[in-house]
Amino acid sequence: MSESASANAPKPSSSVKLVLLGEAAVGKSSLVLRFVNNDFQENKEPTIGAAFLTQKCSLPTRTIKFEIWDTAGQERFASLAPMYYRNAQAALVVYDVTKPSSLTKAKHWVAELQRQASPGIVIALVGNKLDLTNDGGDVSEAAGAAQSESESAQDGDEGAGEEDEVQDAVSGDARKVSTREATSYAEEEGLLFFETSAKTGTNVVDVFTAIANAIPESSLKTGRGTGAGTGQTSLGNRSAEDSRVNLGDRHAATAKEGCAC
Amino acid sequence: MIPWSSFVQKAQSLIDPANFNIPALSSPDHNPSKASLFRQQFRLPDSQNPLQEITADLVLPLPNSSTNQGDGSRRIDRAGNTYTGRLHLSERFICFSTQPTSFVPSATASASTTWTGQTHGTGPSGNGFILPLSCIRRVERLHSASHVFSLALTTWNGLLNKQQEPNFVPQRLILQLVGSRQACERFCDTLKKGLREGMKEVDSLRTVVSDCYSEYLLSGAKGKGQDGNEADTRQPPDAGLGLIFRYPGDARKLRDRSKMRLWGEYFRGKRTSIFSLIVFPTSDRYPPENGRNAMLIRQPTFHKLIRVGLPNRLRGEIWELTSGSLFLRLQSPMLYQQTLAKFDGQESLAIDEIEKDLNRSLPEYPGFQSEEGIGRLRRVLTAYSWIDPEIGYCQAMNIVVAALLIYMSEAQAFFLLSALCDRLLPGYYSTTMYGTLLDQKVFESLVEKTMPVLWDHLTKSDVQLSVVSLPWFLSLYINSMPLVFAFRVLDVFFLEGPKVLFQVGLAILRVNGEELLETQDDGSFISVLKSYFSRLDESAHPRSENPKLRAITRFQELMVVAFKEFSGITHSTITETREKHKGAVLENIETFAKRTSIRNLGPESKRLSVDDLGTIYDRFYETLYQWEQRQKVIEEETRRQERKNSQRLSMLAPPADTQVGRVGLGPSPTHMDYDAFREFLAATSKWAVADSPGPSTKESSSGKSALWANRRQPADHEFMQRLYRKWATNPEEGLNLQNVVNGLARLKGSPDIMNNINYFFDLYDDSGNGQVDREGILKISEALLFLSRRGFEGTITATPSVENLNSMADRDHAENSLTTDEKFLGSVSAFIRRCFEYADPSHPEHQKTDQQDATAEATEKLDSFAIGDDDEEEDLIDVDDAKPTNSPAPDVATQLAKSTTAELVSHNQNHSTSESANPALDPNNPLHITLPTFRMVILADELLEQFFESYFPQSFHLSDHPHPAALAASSTMSSNLTTFSNLGSIRSPGLAAGSAPIAGASGGIVPPGKGLRGVLDNIVSDGIRMAAEVKKRMDEAQRDLERNALGREEDEDDEDDEDYPRRENTATAIPGGIPSWGAGAYGADTERRSVVRDADRDLLEGAEVLGGGKEERNSLLDGKDDVNHAPRKVSSSAASAKGGGSPTVRDGEVISKLVEFES
Repeated sequence: MSESASANAPKPSSSVKLVLLGEAAVGKSSLVLRFVNNDFQENKEPTIGAAFLTQKCSLPTRTIKFEIWDTAGQERFASLAPMYYRNAQAALVVYDVTKPSSLTKAKHWVAELQRQASPGIVIALVGNKLDLTNDGGDVSEAAGAAQSESESAQDGDEGAGEEDEVQDAVSGDARKVSTREATSYAEEEGLLFFETSAKTGTNVVDVFTAIANAIPESSLKTGRGTGAGTGQTSLGNRSAEDSRVNLGDRHAATAKEGCAC
Repeated sequence: MIPWSSFVQKAQSLIDPANFNIPALSSPDHNPSKASLFRQQFRLPDSQNPLQEITADLVLPLPNSSTNQGDGSRRIDRAGNTYTGRLHLSERFICFSTQPTSFVPSATASASTTWTGQTHGTGPSGNGFILPLSCIRRVERLHSASHVFSLALTTWNGLLNKQQEPNFVPQRLILQLVGSRQACERFCDTLKKGLREGMKEVDSLRTVVSDCYSEYLLSGAKGKGQDGNEADTRQPPDAGLGLIFRYPGDARKLRDRSKMRLWGEYFRGKRTSIFSLIVFPTSDRYPPENGRNAMLIRQPTFHKLIRVGLPNRLRGEIWELTSGSLFLRLQSPMLYQQTLAKFDGQESLAIDEIEKDLNRSLPEYPGFQSEEGIGRLRRVLTAYSWIDPEIGYCQAMNIVVAALLIYMSEAQAFFLLSALCDRLLPGYYSTTMYGTLLDQKVFESLVEKTMPVLWDHLTKSDVQLSVVSLPWFLSLYINSMPLVFAFRVLDVFFLEGPKVLFQVGLAILRVNGEELLETQDDGSFISVLKSYFSRLDESAHPRSENPKLRAITRFQELMVVAFKEFSGITHSTITETREKHKGAVLENIETFAKRTSIRNLGPESKRLSVDDLGTIYDRFYETLYQWEQRQKVIEEETRRQERKNSQRLSMLAPPADTQVGRVGLGPSPTHMDYDAFREFLAATSKWAVADSPGPSTKESSSGKSALWANRRQPADHEFMQRLYRKWATNPEEGLNLQNVVNGLARLKGSPDIMNNINYFFDLYDDSGNGQVDREGILKISEALLFLSRRGFEGTITATPSVENLNSMADRDHAENSLTTDEKFLGSVSAFIRRCFEYADPSHPEHQKTDQQDATAEATEKLDSFAIGDDDEEEDLIDVDDAKPTNSPAPDVATQLAKSTTAELVSHNQNHSTSESANPALDPNNPLHITLPTFRMVILADELLEQFFESYFPQSFHLSDHPHPAALAASSTMSSNLTTFSNLGSIRSPGLAAGSAPIAGASGGIVPPGKGLRGVLDNIVSDGIRMAAEVKKRMDEAQRDLERNALGREEDEDDEDDEDYPRRENTATAIPGGIPSWGAGAYGADTERRSVVRDADRDLLEGAEVLGGGKEERNSLLDGKDDVNHAPRKVSSSAASAKGGGSPTVRDGEVISKLVEFES
């Protein structure tokens, strides 16, 4: 959907610097690969320092060109991170839903970003590898089908918490981080929150779209000048989810305002 | 033949005092040591030190002219090439280089790195050789003109194979030493020694060399250097995965075959092809034999051959040789296999990380799509992670090692990786990657300097260069350029060192300069470079008329730009620029690390302020690093003493002259052991500073005392041990930052007195059952006194006249504080009493002890001072029974202190009334208190309550107060702390007047006015002693039940001695109680004293031997001053020495001995 930039008439386009952070092997590069090339590789070369990719994301009112800095996840590369998140307008902090430690690390990154990155940075918390959980497995064929995904995420919510371990034992569900836990944390910190699967593609584009929407207009460097065009903030078929998603108040508000002009 | 420049060189070196050098060990200052520069230049293992150095001519005889071992110098001069340079000798190597060197130990960094200047493509080792001594088969002294000292070296070259090579000619080279006869002789002597040792290593040499492709190449099977398959005689050595999966690139296009032939000729010393006759200058046309692998001689051709790119099969070997990793392998040929075997089956974090990346390392090369290649990669990375756990595994190493493995065997790659991590890419792969970040800064600053226009543009368009260039450096261009080209860069990189990475990087930017100036953001910047890299094989001048120009590829152009245009970028440029940015880079990393780790300390830490956490963080690491550093110094010292083990144990150990650790440098120690923890506490709390810098028994036995030489020395008290155990998750492992923060957070985090009381109780609840037994109670009281012996810093104030010492109630302020201290002492004794009073009996079954009367005796004794059941229910150290209390305050204090002891001793004089022995005190009636009891007892006393409410938590100084770390054994300290001489100055100098002048000379004088403070401390310290005494007696009672009263009395007399003479002796220091002259002496003395102190210690330790087991108790004593510790120490130990005789006399003896020593 993001590739459909050409479908519409020229819209104002602006670039957004986005950085991916998170523990090693949570699937940062895979998320990017899915988003940029709609592809998935089992053996992705490890990122040395950081990889740079771009992808356009078309919103009803404008086109956002993401300049994506995909950083290395190995712990020791952390000290390089400030180099990459410098001036970033958005960040994707990724964890692995099957690995609780990765959420801890993600929280550290969120804290780091909130204190050190540019003020007003839009942060999305992303739990990846949904395909390894029961709710993710169900949808695998219907990758990208927002409706079913929405339902499955709902399932996740219910199945979360105490039942986790039971589920684990019974059905081989690898999920170790409940949706509820992550949601409440994201809510607390005012983060966007998604659970995704880079393998199946579930929710991947949605993450980037939500971020694109949440970027305050004021912080956009517009390439072709601000054009006309008013419209809905969210893409039609995904509005349901967007309301489910914990858009931080701040972001939600600015996003809507932003599109008003 | 000798060029003019070499004359100059020779002349210079003759004047050079370095000719007569003694090997210098690494100096602690910042400049690299001579040894490390030497090792760097010749890429030698860390075990090597420069032993001898002399100017010499290297004469390489032509094969056709000198096969008959001619010895005439004339003939030699006529034939072959001659180089002038420096000849160096280390333990195991003899090196010759034309590169100017100066390793004068006193030289500054810049002066001593002259060799790092222009190397004209030869690398730091220049022309010459680096021969392991084991390669030398024979050395002859040549008869020649008397003024020339000539040696002929014959090597094992060609003899290490089992089969004789056709047309074998032994490799022989001639060295003409230039120097005084003496210097030459000395050089030869050392050489002889080295050769003898080297002989033992010929077998290693044989093993190592057999892995070298050159041996195979020259072994005769391929006389003409063809690459056929005549493997019937023997298998070629493992020259990497390329032998199985083909080497990258088109061999024909790379002209691999002719390169191979050229190398063969270079080794063998024959020119056979027309091609080589055209390519090489006349002087090189009929070269001598140059040897091979370890025995290779480097002439200009060698370096040229490297520049044009190495042939596939020899690439690994030459990398190994030029990087120096061959020497590492030679040093421990089996290390790789041994490491793998040793750690077989074990797991680690690094292994997990490696496993994740195995399938994604150069996946485009077929070898790494196979189990064979992946297996090799896994083994090399794993083995390295074991041998260098500080680095472990860092992403990008997988790519580098994968690349190496295409050209070399596993063992070779393993050692080359270690050379990379240790020397060529220092700090690149460390846990903080400071080396990577630093070199990015260096690169940026070089760009700014050499291409200011481009730099301006980058700054303006906000493109961060390092973001682009970082992977170039981190993975050595391997995943940036197509492999064939990356390997060409590596060829030069291993020879010339890190500067090559910079030169190539700069050249890339220069070549693409115009296009880059058009870019506006990171994205376009990166894509310009990406497309450039993908077209490196295309013509650099596709539209040129000149076919020659058209034939030049972009890569060739790049190399020319890199090494011609940026030839000014030398090793010293890099070194200097690194030095310039190092501080800032490390600071950045440390800020980041501190920020991150403080933030991640968990919920517990939130109870402390961020400032406090920052303070803890800083102090924690400062302590750790200083501790580590000092231990290193000590190790160094021990190592120096063990001359025999001069070889370092591990070849991979970091160079000896690394600086003090920093967080930013990466792999940092994370846990502090108990001793480091004491340091930490000493920097945090006053009470944790030892009273005397004298070593405690424990330390002197383990030689640790030197660790604290001239520094604030931490105390060693049981309380601190408890704290340590309490805070540590695993005491074996030590305390990490989290433990310390949690520990402090519990103490300081909440101002809740209950919390503090509970905590304290917990500390002493050994069994964890909520009970503290008698022993514990006494220990608690001891700890209370220990903690309070430095006073309360105003956190505790006694309400006047609450207690019974009303005679002093309304004195001035100082005396008020005196009463506080004194009262606290009272409180503690009341504490003991009450504890026993309210204790619950436990395990009544233990009652059945025999020896009734002895028990009774013991009980009575205890009662006499522990139970205040005499008239007014006074605190047990009250003074009324011994002396009247109405004397002036200081006097009272003194007497109090004294009488306390007196009381302990003379138990059968008074208080014998305590018939109604409290069964609680009977050691045979085990008892305990519970937390509620403890709490009650504490709260029952105003001072104790205040102690737990404010003093105890506040005695841990974090950021809230400017910390007394400044107080490090300084004057503040000595004026604050007390001495017994203060006491003495107040007391009437009755007893040992004889030793007065001596004591005076030995210091112990505290400026007037501080005396009062000293008295207080003495009281407290005596209190501590008392608690110790109580405990000891309890023990005694339990142990020596059959002991009779008389024997005991004697025993106690000894202890008595221990106290009295000390006081008397120091008391005599100021006969008139006027210390003014002494004060002057003190000032003048300090400096000298601190110099002498270490020496003193030896003497003191001697004295302690006399003192024997008393030492431990001594350490509890207070009132020791840095300055006057010596006499005190001596006196106390002398006093504690058993035997008749007047203690005073003995004191006099020892002291006079000491004084002699000092003066």
